[in-house]
Amino acid sequence: MNALPIDLDLAWESLPALFDGLMVTVFLTVLPLIIGLALAFPICFARMSSRRALALPAETFVVFFRGAPLLILLYLVYYGLGQIEALRNGPFWIVFGSPFGCAIVALSLNHAAYMVEVLRGSLLAVPHGIVEASEALGITRRNIFLWVRMPLALRYGLKAYQNEVVSFVKGTAIVSVVTITDLMAVANSIFEQTYDPFTPILCAAAFYWAFVNLIRVGFTFWGGWLNRHNAEDVAMPGPGRLALARLAGRAKVMP
Amino acid sequence: MTNLSLADLAGYLRQLGEGALITLELFFASFTLAFVLGVLIGVVTLSRNRFIRAAWRVYASVFMGVPSLLVIFLIFYGGSAMLAAVLGEFGARIDISPFGAGVAALGIVYAAYIAELVRGAIENLPKGQFEGARALAIPPLIMWGRVILPQVMRLALPGLVNVWSFMLKETPLVSLAGLQDLVAAAKIAAGATKEPFLFFVATALLFIAFSAASLWLANRLEARLDRGQRRAPVRSSAQAEA
Amino acid sequence: MIARPPASDLAGDLAPAPVAPAILLAGVVKRYGAHRALAGVDLQVQRGEKVVICGPSGSGKSTLIRCINALERHDGGRIVVNGIELTGDEGTVQDIRQEVGMVFQHFNLFPHLTALENCMLAPQLNRGLSKAQAEKLAMAHLERVHLADQARKYPARLSGGQQQRVAIARALCMEPRILLFDEPTSALDPEMVKEVLGVIEELAASGVTMVCVTHEMGFARRVADRCVFMDRGEIVEEGGAQDFFDAPKSERLRHFLAQILR
Repeated sequence: MNALPIDLDLAWESLPALFDGLMVTVFLTVLPLIIGLALAFPICFARMSSRRALALPAETFVVFFRGAPLLILLYLVYYGLGQIEALRNGPFWIVFGSPFGCAIVALSLNHAAYMVEVLRGSLLAVPHGIVEASEALGITRRNIFLWVRMPLALRYGLKAYQNEVVSFVKGTAIVSVVTITDLMAVANSIFEQTYDPFTPILCAAAFYWAFVNLIRVGFTFWGGWLNRHNAEDVAMPGPGRLALARLAGRAKVMP
Repeated sequence: MTNLSLADLAGYLRQLGEGALITLELFFASFTLAFVLGVLIGVVTLSRNRFIRAAWRVYASVFMGVPSLLVIFLIFYGGSAMLAAVLGEFGARIDISPFGAGVAALGIVYAAYIAELVRGAIENLPKGQFEGARALAIPPLIMWGRVILPQVMRLALPGLVNVWSFMLKETPLVSLAGLQDLVAAAKIAAGATKEPFLFFVATALLFIAFSAASLWLANRLEARLDRGQRRAPVRSSAQAEA
Repeated sequence: MIARPPASDLAGDLAPAPVAPAILLAGVVKRYGAHRALAGVDLQVQRGEKVVICGPSGSGKSTLIRCINALERHDGGRIVVNGIELTGDEGTVQDIRQEVGMVFQHFNLFPHLTALENCMLAPQLNRGLSKAQAEKLAMAHLERVHLADQARKYPARLSGGQQQRVAIARALCMEPRILLFDEPTSALDPEMVKEVLGVIEELAASGVTMVCVTHEMGFARRVADRCVFMDRGEIVEEGGAQDFFDAPKSERLRHFLAQILR
């Protein structure tokens, strides 16, 4: 038996297929990240609203799509929505009728629910005094949000966002259950052809690891750039940091 | 649309119940394994030994950097071969069940997260705790068991709750290796009855309910530990007077 | 300058004086639950007047000036600022805030912006100034608080005194007619108090209307046209700085002065 459990020839032969799988994984990461984030903003505003009629549905959304395992969400969208006659005959069947469409819908909803909590925590971490100072300067609420609250929330919530994105990427590995050939699925099919239990899966692991760590490095640079104003000093006040520590935990498991 | 007879429904419910039991068993077994491994790894890797630290970094980076599903498949497909390599002839005869692969995989992956929590908590303990214990010449095993770890657990509790609920949501992955758990039962029932919406929503709600119940328990536990913490100084001053 | 409704419209029936007061408070009430933070406060501040407000903590002095620019909404009575009556309407709130600059105890600078950008933000957003115009304006006001050389630094790099001076420059960049100071020096280390008070005194000489909550007696004597003592949500005593400190009439003020001078 080889010292390494990896068959180098097979690994080399599998590279192109694995790379195609990686591209599918990247695609299934990027698109739901965009859609989920776009959904998260209005839902977060509703969630933070003092009006019960807005806050309650938003909260229900978060509890359901954050609390349900992603695999069940995917089954629900893929098998469950097809049951609805109106949907099957409607124009959105282009989306719900295809595995890719279903995967993107399920992943986006799940990501949106997590991002609502990340956003909310980050916005709550912005010190009230700074918002008040902006109000006193006569800046409108919309501009305060755009130029003061959001830029600060981004800085406070970046770590939680990173954790969510990383765990989201790993979560995409289940899409093969709806016949999508992502990185995990390619590795599985090579296993089924060769019965080599290590080579394809360890190669896929290397691809996942590289992708995840590329994201980590990207976030580290982004964070460094955003926090150039306090490279030495800790400018964030105590209570804010505490709130954020909780938030980073709530978002998903710390890296 | 609904053409479910009551008898059919009862049958599916029984299957779902059996599946739920398996999911729970899997979850508790994996969490226990992850917890024990995690605490051990967390304590051991605080050592100053450069080799141990490097090994920790590699382990954490690998298992936090790949999907749990991949680790499950790796152990399910390759577990026998790995055991054979380690245990020789005897290991080769052990067949890896989906349940065993799931427990091992989730245990190993989440041990990394728990070890990280434990390491962080130990590093946040006041140095006086170690010095005090050493000054009183308390043997190391008792120092860790009675003095350090209980405090570490209190500090790490919020993080552990996160790992708990996140891990719960990843237990359905083991059904992809063939485990007949709650999600697998729901999938069968959904297919047979042509009522996927009903069964998957019900399954999701079960997970949410279990998660909510354990969160509620954890909050109560946390409140209790905090109360002990607040009362502690009063008690010690009373002891000092006595 | 921002267009503003003619002051005479509103002020005509309020005060018979030929020039409407910069700030008029009549019977202002503010409640927090059952607690009355302001229990019917009457106060007029004339154009160009410098008023110092002092009082024990919890006396309502901060609440009072925070009501003037609607950071707190009053529950009763009337507040008229520069002829604009403060109602629940968002528009009047915005109008008043364009006229009133505020400096806080804890500076509240934008941590993600440099000193210069802190000063440029409001003029750019509210008045549509171009970047170059806003920068010119901001530099002029930073010059005024003697911080032109620190303009490119982030707040975290500045001392407390410098941060508070940036906060003053930031308020000045909106070219307000009224400046409110909420204990501007009480979060500062003693050696930095002087530089901030110095800047405020220079501003006072420029003719702007000023309301300042502070316990700095020397400053009050040098700058204040009038001193106001508040306790338990009401104005107990007011007068010229000289009489106020040297010959307090009420027992409560005597007690308060004895405490802070000790």
